[in-house]
Amino acid sequence: MSKYIEVGRTYLKTQLAWRGDVLFHMLFTVTKILFACLLWGLIFEEREMVSGFTYHSMLSYYIISSFLSQLEKSGGISEEITYKIRNGSFSNYMVLPISIEGYFTAMEAGIVLFYLGFDLAAAFIWVFIFRIEFVFVQSGFIFCCALLMVIIGLFFMVQLNYFLGILTLKYEEISTFLMIKNNLISLVTGSIVPLTLFPEAVVRYMKLLPFYYVTYLPSMLLTGRCRQEAVTGLFVISGWCIVMQILIVYTWKKYSRKYDGVGI
Amino acid sequence: MNVIETENLTKTYKRYKKREGIIGSIQGLWKREYEEKNAVNSVNLKIEEGEFIGLIGPNGAGKTTLIKMLTGIIAPTSGRIEVLGYYPNDLKNEFKEKYAVVMGQKSQLFFELTANDTLRLFKEIYGIPEAEYQERKQYFIELFGVEKLMNMQVRTLSLGERMKMELIAALLHNPQILFLDEPTIGLDAIASRQIRGFLKQVNQEKGTTIILTSHYMEDIKTLCGRCVVINHGSKIYDGRTEALFEKYQNSKKITAIFEQPVDGSRFLTDGLMLEDTPHKKVISVPKEKTYQVLQAIMEENPSDISVEEEEIGTVVERIYKGRSET
Ligand SMILES: Nc1ncnc2c1ncn2[C@@H]1O[C@H](COP(=O)(O)OP(=O)(O)OP(=O)(O)O)[C@@H](O)[C@H]1O
Ligand SMILES: [Mg+2]
Repeated sequence: MSKYIEVGRTYLKTQLAWRGDVLFHMLFTVTKILFACLLWGLIFEEREMVSGFTYHSMLSYYIISSFLSQLEKSGGISEEITYKIRNGSFSNYMVLPISIEGYFTAMEAGIVLFYLGFDLAAAFIWVFIFRIEFVFVQSGFIFCCALLMVIIGLFFMVQLNYFLGILTLKYEEISTFLMIKNNLISLVTGSIVPLTLFPEAVVRYMKLLPFYYVTYLPSMLLTGRCRQEAVTGLFVISGWCIVMQILIVYTWKKYSRKYDGVGI
Repeated sequence: MNVIETENLTKTYKRYKKREGIIGSIQGLWKREYEEKNAVNSVNLKIEEGEFIGLIGPNGAGKTTLIKMLTGIIAPTSGRIEVLGYYPNDLKNEFKEKYAVVMGQKSQLFFELTANDTLRLFKEIYGIPEAEYQERKQYFIELFGVEKLMNMQVRTLSLGERMKMELIAALLHNPQILFLDEPTIGLDAIASRQIRGFLKQVNQEKGTTIILTSHYMEDIKTLCGRCVVINHGSKIYDGRTEALFEKYQNSKKITAIFEQPVDGSRFLTDGLMLEDTPHKKVISVPKEKTYQVLQAIMEENPSDISVEEEEIGTVVERIYKGRSET
């Protein structure tokens, strides 16, 4: 276990090495929230409620969900794996006495922990500056469920991206898969079209997919909504993790022998 | 005890033959022709614990492919392979804790961090106890004299400095076998000499078995007691390095300077005149005729004379062609 903790720490340190990126990331978060405040301010000038949200609960939801989606940085994993398999430096991981999936999970944890600090700070600052009456879940149980769901959800995303990455062993080119994944995620997490605009039946199917539980449901739970879905949600996302793990093990067994380690 | 054993080890790569131009690339999307390439061909190898082996051969001979199979990075197409009692491509952690590999062109270090950071990570990955870690690290740092570089961002190091760090990182867990693929590529004379000294000491003091590929014969001659030559994927020589060079290094170069103009043809009983000016003669003679030719030259009272070994490049060319005659 201590090896993975050290992997996480090491990546935390690499993040710190790029101070410029940190600043940029902060600015980006800040402008996003500023923009949301202005936009929702205009909309809520004319009415009290939009789809059951007040101005303050909407902003609370927005701050939480953008906070969570910014933590989700695992897309880099599939890109890094594809790149390294294609140029041959993937062998660097193969010769180390570690589980490669464990390595990437630990790496992601390190990166998430790093951004967690900054994003929390940014969220707090905005809650205070704009004097948002922050709407937050009251029940300790639901809070724990949401927290657990975020952790499992982030792990699922790591698994998914790891899986797509090692598909490079078979398909050489996985950009199509990545494109499908990205579109599916932005659709299901409601960043293209808000989920409340979908017909009831469609949303029911989306609840079967894992992406619903990665940022959308936890944000709803944390703003005190959808509480009846908390426990089932945990089961669904955990089920997906198990399915994904089986897929990963199977794919690795079948295709790791195809790795021909190009490069000098 | 043999730490490495292979029998009829073969690797055939399947490579997609890409046609030229954009049209060819597009056609390649659905119809692909594959070309097979025998990179390693029926190689039998036995290596004992503590040996220092040089693996040489021209570009594309299959050296790197052989090392990749021995470290488990790629699976052999056929044949038997056993390293420390394991089948490498099973990629067992237990096995991976027992060897290390350094490829001159690939880096294990984190470029944004310092060498110390990477070493600490490796300490945890290999589960090295703190006391041993400190002691070994200190030992290697002193051997290389790189104390000052340990806290620099790796991306700011020069090629030679980085290579020293790679070697330290690789040896930290005290591996039984160390695979080195062109560790001195692109390094200057001083750095390569330092690295050679380092490797020699590690081999002698720690008993680490080392397998080294290099295109610099200086590395091979000074370090490797035994030498394996491969060409076109097949082993063409396996034996003592001295004997190999003895066998192929079959002429000497004599340079003589005279005060008076001299006619060179009388020295040329056997051999080749490389340079023939009235005051200077450069002659390549078969090893066994050296004495005779020298005597003939001495009779002309030369003002200066030197006898050199044949140029290493020509010797190597001959070795790779597998012929001992010129
Ligand atoms: N991934 C690959 N797919 C197809 N062919 C390959 C692959 N890797 C190497 N080859 C081919 O196999 C042969 C042996 O390559 P290898 O890299 O083992 O040579 P080498 O002896 O290390 O040469 P060098 O001295 O140039 O490093 C070469 O002809 C090369 O073109
Ligand atoms: Mg090579």
